[in-house]
Amino acid sequence: MEKSCPEHGRFKALLWRGSIPIEKWVRNKIPATIETPNTLVDQGCPFDCGLCPEHRQHTCTALIEVTQRCNLNCSFCFADANRNYDQDLSMETIKLMYQSVMNTSGDCNIQLSGGEPTLRDDLHLIIAMGHKIGFSFIQVNTNGIRMGEDEAYVKQLKEAGLNSVFLQFDGTNDEIYKKLRGKSLLAIKIKALENCQKYNIGVVLVPTVVANINDDDLANIIDFALDWAPTVKGVHLQPASYFGRIPTLPDEQKRLTLGDLMDKIEAQTEKRICKESFSPPGCENARCSFHGNYSIQGNKELIPMNQRSQCCGVEKAEEGARKAKAHVVRKWSGNDLESADHLEKNSEGQSKDDWDSILDQINCYSFSLSAMAFQDVWNLDLNRVKDCCIHVVNTEGKLIPFCMYNLTDKNGHSIYRNQ
Amino acid sequence: MKHESNDKTKWLCDKCQRELELAKVKVRYMEGNFEVDLMKCPTCNQVFIDEALALGKMKEVEEGLEDK
Repeated sequence: MEKSCPEHGRFKALLWRGSIPIEKWVRNKIPATIETPNTLVDQGCPFDCGLCPEHRQHTCTALIEVTQRCNLNCSFCFADANRNYDQDLSMETIKLMYQSVMNTSGDCNIQLSGGEPTLRDDLHLIIAMGHKIGFSFIQVNTNGIRMGEDEAYVKQLKEAGLNSVFLQFDGTNDEIYKKLRGKSLLAIKIKALENCQKYNIGVVLVPTVVANINDDDLANIIDFALDWAPTVKGVHLQPASYFGRIPTLPDEQKRLTLGDLMDKIEAQTEKRICKESFSPPGCENARCSFHGNYSIQGNKELIPMNQRSQCCGVEKAEEGARKAKAHVVRKWSGNDLESADHLEKNSEGQSKDDWDSILDQINCYSFSLSAMAFQDVWNLDLNRVKDCCIHVVNTEGKLIPFCMYNLTDKNGHSIYRNQ
Repeated sequence: MKHESNDKTKWLCDKCQRELELAKVKVRYMEGNFEVDLMKCPTCNQVFIDEALALGKMKEVEEGLEDK
């Protein structure tokens, strides 16, 4: 993409690279309408976020940053966290934020984020409050340190109704953690997985992918995830974006695009996972993500469960949001396998039949592999912003598209965070 | 391992006038292949799926395989 500014001159940004052409990565949608916008259109996109009446997609996931404190100080951090002097949000404020999401978007998926949310001792109360207000799926976005160290805490979160953990997991060796997170963390991540396994909490491994640091470890991460199935439900890659706290300004050659990641996965897995098994999303803008669903067979073989969606035809964005929400709930939640009846009885207490066995296979042995490319100030595309379904809730209860909430300029100034 | 329906009605194949019997049937949806017991005409192999199954477990399986 080439851009020019009368004040700052001309810029070039890399949007896509790889063997799948960008023109083929499309999924046309009829825009959704925001029925209860929180802001009016005034200055134009992206300065009226709230959501405004011109936004084109409903909330699939709402993020609430329950603290800005953190027990790491990573070189890449979109939240620029570790501001340990900030006050955590009060329960009253969190309640207002939950209620605002419910009023605007209804029962969508909630992600409790930060900072590091597990630094709060009352996180279980925040989870319980969310369910009470009517949210059926609540996920915690964590580095896993406390979840590894404190089993009683994990038990408490499960009892409060925690459905899923979005676990920062950058690679399968400590060299990667030392470079990205400043210390060895693999052992504590494994301990966190053991605790989630013990309490049947579904886990998604979330690597921040940075060129020359961990982009050659993708197949190892996928294999590691499969070793931990069905506790681990999938891998969700986030190629590094340049907002918040970043070590250097972007070198466009080193920037990883979705096309790059699909090619790397196919090459590193020696075509055990083919790029044809990936689809563009039906919820957010096609250029924001890819995903594939698989059935896990013996020897960790993966059978693709969705063929690439048709590129012709138009779908309703609203229907895409409904499907994406339901998909996350089904595929990323823990399976309560511990009940003694599980092997012989279904959820209604009847003897299991063939259909129950099929459902067990689908629920316990399915695997999702996906990636989302966030936008930064260099590659920003307002069409993608308007189609965004991942919204951060601010303390006024406004819903801000994720990339806009985290967007910072060259000097680190943001338009929404801390405003 | 049979599909249990509360409906104990005996079903007849309209075309063959034969009573349907439980038999293994191969089901394919999306990329999933499954074998399940379903009511089937022993002559023409027409399969019958009752409403409870269609709106119950079968729908659940379909949703489980549904892409986003």
